[in-house]
Amino acid sequence: MSRIQLQGITRRFGPVTAVDDVWLDIADGEFLVLLGPSGCGKSTLLRLIAGLLPPTEGRLWLDDTDLTHVPPQQRDLAMVFQSYALYPHLSVARNIGFPLRARKWPRAEIRAKVAEVAATLGLTALLDRKPKELSGGQRQRVALGRALVRDPGAFLLDEPLSNLDAKLRTGTRAEIAELHRSLGTTMVYVTHDQVEAMTMATRIALLDEGRLAQLGTPSEVYDRPASVFAATFLGSPAMNILDATVRSADGSLAAHGKGIELSLGIDAVLPDRPVRLGVRPEHLTFAPAGGRGIHAVVTAVENLGSEEVVQCLAGEGRIAVRGPRPLGVSAGDAVTLTARPEHLHLFDSASGRRLTWQPESVPASV
Amino acid sequence: MTIDDAVGEPRVRRLGGHLVLGVLSLACVFPVYWLYATSVRAPGDVYSLSVLPWPLSTASYADAFAKNDVLGMLLNTGVVAVFSALGQLLVALLAAYAFVAWRFPLQRLLYLMFVGTWLVPFQATMLPNYVLLSRLGLLETLAGVIVPTLCSALGVLLLREHLAGFPKELLDAARMDGRSSWSTLWLVVVPALRPALAALGILLAITAWNEYFWPAMVLQRSNAVVQLGLRSFMGTEGNDWGPLMATAGLACLPVLVLYLVLQRHIVNAFVRSGLK
Ligand SMILES: Nc1ncnc2c1ncn2[C@@H]1O[C@H](COP(=O)(O)OP(=O)(O)O)[C@@H](O)[C@H]1O
Ligand SMILES: [Mg+2]
Repeated sequence: MSRIQLQGITRRFGPVTAVDDVWLDIADGEFLVLLGPSGCGKSTLLRLIAGLLPPTEGRLWLDDTDLTHVPPQQRDLAMVFQSYALYPHLSVARNIGFPLRARKWPRAEIRAKVAEVAATLGLTALLDRKPKELSGGQRQRVALGRALVRDPGAFLLDEPLSNLDAKLRTGTRAEIAELHRSLGTTMVYVTHDQVEAMTMATRIALLDEGRLAQLGTPSEVYDRPASVFAATFLGSPAMNILDATVRSADGSLAAHGKGIELSLGIDAVLPDRPVRLGVRPEHLTFAPAGGRGIHAVVTAVENLGSEEVVQCLAGEGRIAVRGPRPLGVSAGDAVTLTARPEHLHLFDSASGRRLTWQPESVPASV
Repeated sequence: MTIDDAVGEPRVRRLGGHLVLGVLSLACVFPVYWLYATSVRAPGDVYSLSVLPWPLSTASYADAFAKNDVLGMLLNTGVVAVFSALGQLLVALLAAYAFVAWRFPLQRLLYLMFVGTWLVPFQATMLPNYVLLSRLGLLETLAGVIVPTLCSALGVLLLREHLAGFPKELLDAARMDGRSSWSTLWLVVVPALRPALAALGILLAITAWNEYFWPAMVLQRSNAVVQLGLRSFMGTEGNDWGPLMATAGLACLPVLVLYLVLQRHIVNAFVRSGLK
């Protein structure tokens, strides 16, 4: 059992607040991905969990133990570093066995355990090599092996795939996910890569400037982004965000803007309200010219192989449309784009928070 | 890239360069050559200016060994060099590790003070050290020569710079793997720093080996180390050049051998230290 709880964890470096009042409850066996752009405090948060940094404020619990002041050596957590941090003077076998030697295991047991872990990771043939004689992918495996060998309560991984080339990354991603399934051990995984987050996570904790921007399953975060930040961070191309006004017409609500008229599918009469309108590129479709929708001009068509991304200009706003190839438009075409009401996202124009419709009231912040 | 690969380098300039380097290296090597040449001349020839010493003779060496316990002196000098170098390495390693791996109050100030001691000229600390040694009863002992050298700012400075470039994630990894700061130092930092430690150790040992002034103060009239032993051949009524050169030649020998064997390390050490 290893449930990790963060209660108001804050870390400041002088004037910089790297991690700002983060509350997280990571269930036993969960694969939690800490996602966010570079510099948003992911590594700092992971190091706080590891105990490599003390928090400025807040408490940290592992199951029923208060870990806040427990040194990393006694936390029963294993970490995989972004640089792999392999001991350069030790062979692969001794690198993997290092944590066991620190725990004073008998030699024979260390050898057996290292051999077992090496076999799982396909490192058996490399056990006598030094780290500098290994490829990037092999080093990454050794770093994983060093974490695995301890059977820790939880794994902490800091961008373990970021130094691998694209192809190796896809393969290793699947392997780590598989490892998590077979071990069932809690993993906290840091990445800035949305594909890794979407494919591996049981839950995503999205960080923005040290604050928790959204916490939820990959589908929740993708389908119901809590803010403009979350909406534009996930998805490729990112969600289109346009300035618009919600206005009542004939007893139902619609979003209006420069060259925009999209029905929200809500029957209500409300005073006008400025909003930011979000719609994902794959949810936009081409409608007959002249109808209701977003009026735009195609500026470029990008061929992704199976799909196409059409870049358009609507008023001053840029809009991307994504769909199966061929979409049948070319640069210079004037097009009308529509989307189903359930695929439209509304955000508060000032705070950027998601707006939801609650029938008996005005659109309110979540 | 070797010189031969240089594109468009005029032949004449290349030749000129070689000529200048040749003359310079000759100027550097010649005194050493003259030292050994004189040491193997026959006793009557020591003032001879012939470039080739002939006939060869070991009389000067025999003379040196007869008048002084040369082997004992070399041994003592070796002890001083080895202990002084190891002691400085240990102090420097611990201090540099603390400065890099730990955060503690007044860290910057302490480091600046460490560096500051490097700027204090030897002449300023010489007398206080001498008085201290005399109170401790260490005058005229080898320990008296070694102890005051142990805390060298140079070593701390160089190792700290080295350690600053050492990946911090390795220290963190060792902590996660269950190691204390102390065992991390010996199991992770020292093995990874071995080349730098070796280079610095050699540099310090050679410096200690060649030291003349401080041993002369501490050991006074005794000839315990070889650099002092040379004095016994210099007298008011003239110098005894043959055995003097022989002893000096023997004193240089360990350094030369060390240099030939560990050439790459030593050059490294000098380049790293930024000294000439
Ligand atoms: N040891 C430190 N000292 C000062 N500032 C730091 C330190 N570590 C991280 N920071 C700052 O904290 C912020 C978050 O850093 P980090 O957690 O490394 O981001 P990420 O891993 O998400 O890219 C950055 O602004 C960084 O400059
Ligand atoms: Mg990071």
